[in-house]
Amino acid sequence: MKAVGARLPRYDGLAHVTGRTTYVDDVRIRGTLWVKALRSPHHHAGITRLETRRAEALPGVHAVVTHEDVPKNVYGHLEALGIPADEPLLAEDDVRYKGQPIAAVAAVDEDTARQAVDLIEIEYEERPAFFDMRKALDPDWPTIHPWGPVYPHYGPYNHRRVRKGDVDGAFENADLIVEGVYRPQAIEHCPIEPQTALVVPEPNGRLTIYSCTQALYFSMGVVAAHLEWPLNKLKFVGGTVGGGFGGKVDTASETICAVLALKAKRPVKWRWTREEEFLASSTRAPWHMEIADAVTSDGWMLGRRMLTLHDSGAYARFSPYGLTKHAFHHTGAYTIPNVHFDGFVVFTNRTPTTAMRGFGVTSVSFAVETHMNRIAQELGIDPLQLRLRNANRIGDTTANRVVLKDPSTVPVVLAAAERVGYDLPPEYASMTAERRSGDLLPEHLAAQQASADGGEA
Amino acid sequence: MRVSVNGVEHEVQSPPLASLLHVLREELEITSPKAGCQQGGCGACTVLVNGEPRRACLIPLGVVAGAAITTVEGLGTPDELSPVQAAFHERYAAQCGFCTAGFVMAATALLERKPAATREDVLEALSGHVCRCTGYIKIVDAVEAVARGEVQPEQVEPSFEPEEAEVLIPGSPA
Repeated sequence: MKAVGARLPRYDGLAHVTGRTTYVDDVRIRGTLWVKALRSPHHHAGITRLETRRAEALPGVHAVVTHEDVPKNVYGHLEALGIPADEPLLAEDDVRYKGQPIAAVAAVDEDTARQAVDLIEIEYEERPAFFDMRKALDPDWPTIHPWGPVYPHYGPYNHRRVRKGDVDGAFENADLIVEGVYRPQAIEHCPIEPQTALVVPEPNGRLTIYSCTQALYFSMGVVAAHLEWPLNKLKFVGGTVGGGFGGKVDTASETICAVLALKAKRPVKWRWTREEEFLASSTRAPWHMEIADAVTSDGWMLGRRMLTLHDSGAYARFSPYGLTKHAFHHTGAYTIPNVHFDGFVVFTNRTPTTAMRGFGVTSVSFAVETHMNRIAQELGIDPLQLRLRNANRIGDTTANRVVLKDPSTVPVVLAAAERVGYDLPPEYASMTAERRSGDLLPEHLAAQQASADGGEA
Repeated sequence: MRVSVNGVEHEVQSPPLASLLHVLREELEITSPKAGCQQGGCGACTVLVNGEPRRACLIPLGVVAGAAITTVEGLGTPDELSPVQAAFHERYAAQCGFCTAGFVMAATALLERKPAATREDVLEALSGHVCRCTGYIKIVDAVEAVARGEVQPEQVEPSFEPEEAEVLIPGSPA
C-alpha cells in the first residue's frame, strides 16, 4: 500500500508534455488511405435505392463498402452475453438515427473520399421520427425497432424488475408519501481526440488494428464477429486514448475500417470530424425516473416504488446492461426493506446511447440523493440525519438480496459532514457502520437483517 | 514555400491553402498539434507563429510562409523540460495528454510575454482551450506556479517524493 496516497509521477507524463505520446492519428504507415462515410441525413427512413458505381469510378478511390461487404452485418455489442443482435454495421433496409453509417469509402486523401461519398446514389422514404420515451408504451406509438417499443429480453419480461418485501403494506403504514420525477438528459462525452482507427492488412493475412478503444479485447471480439474471423488473425494496438469517458467503449470505427482495408488491400485510416462526434457518436442516455417513497414522520423509509425509462436510442448496444446496473442501485446507499422497481429500455430515433462515467448509476444516484433532500424537506428534518438513519449497515440486505459486509455510507457521510463543517448531534456524529440495534433497529427493518451467523434474511 | 519549424527550415510542397495543421502533421510528420475539432474551437492544434499562439487548423500555409513556427517538440526534451513542461508533468496538469501540447504552447507564449502573470492572466490566456479530463484547476495551478517561480525544471525527478498517505475515510485500507 505504499503507492496509496503517495505522489507518484504519471508513467506517461513526460511523453505527454513533450508531444511524444503516439495516439492512433499519430501512427504513420506508408500508403495509408483515408476513410469517409455516407451517413443518414434522416432520423428515420427506409432506404429504397443504394448505388455506389459512380463513387467507385472516381480516380483515387480504392474501395467503397456497403452492408453487402460485411460477412456478418448485424451484431449486438452484448451478443457474447446472450443479448440478441440488433444493429447493422452498415445500414441495410432502413436508417433509425441521423448520422447512422450506410456506406464508407477509402481514397487517397480526405477530399477525394468526401467527393466519392457525394457520388453515392441513395434514395430514402422518410418516416416520422420519435424521441419522447415517455410515450413509448402508448398504443399508437409506431414501431421503430423490430423488437417493439422496449427491449424485450429480460428473461420472461420486457423490463428489468426488482421486487422485495410488502410494498403495499409499507404504503398503507406510511405517514407520508413523497413523490418526485427526475430527468437527467443526454451528454456527449466530447473527448478531444475524435474517434480514430487505422487498420493495416499484413502480408501474413492478419490485420493490425490501431484503435482508440477503451475496451481493447472487447473491440477485438466485435471486429472478429463481424468479419467471422478467429481472434488470432487480429492484432490490436491500443491503450493510448485521448479521452474516452465511456464513449470509446462502443466499437465505432475499427470494424468499418477493417472491411475497407480488406477490400482495398491497403492500410486505411478513419478520423471522425467534430461534427461526426456530435452527430453520430453515442452519448450518455437521457433517463426518466419516477420515485414514490413511503416514509414515517420520524424519518424512516418503509418502502419505494420506482419506474425508470432509459432512452437507448435506435439500437440496444449496452443499454440493457446499463439499466440492470441502474436497477441494482435504485435504493442508493440506503436500506429500504420493501421495494417495487420496474425499468424499461426504450427505443427512439436518437443516436444510440452508451456508457459514461458510472454507467446507469449516476442517473439513479442523482435521483435518489435529490429525493432524499426532498423527503427531508417535506418532513422538516435534517437531510444528513435522514441519510445516516437509513444508511446501509453491516447485515442489511439490499433490494437485490446482497447481504452487506462492508457498507461505507455512514463513514462517507460523516467524513463529508466534517469536511464542510456540518454540525451533527452526538448520537449521529458517533455512528458507525456496525449492525443495527436499539433505536436503529425498528420493527420494519428487523426481518431484512441477515442473522449474525451470516445467513440471509 | 518555406517555413521554419522549431529552428529547422523546410521547403514544403502542400498548396498555399492547405492548413498549417495539415502541413505539420501530414507533410512534416510533426504530430504534437492535434486535429481535435479542425474548427478553431478546442485549441489542441495551437502552435507559436513568430512567438504568438495560433490555431494551426485555421491558418493557411500561404499566410505563414517564411514565419518561425514553434511546436511543443521545439521546447524541451524528456531529459531537459522547459519550465512549463516541468510544471505540467510534476503537477498532474496532463491526464490523457491530447490537449496538453496546445495548453503548453499557449502558456509558454503568455509567460514569454508576461513572466509574472497573475491567475487572471492565466485564465485569460488558456480560455480558448478545452480539456475534458482535468477540470482545468491543475492546469491553471501549474502555469501559475511557473509564473511565481516555483518550478525548477532541473529538479524534476523521474519519481516524486512519496508522502505520508492521508486517510480521508476512517477504516479505509489506505
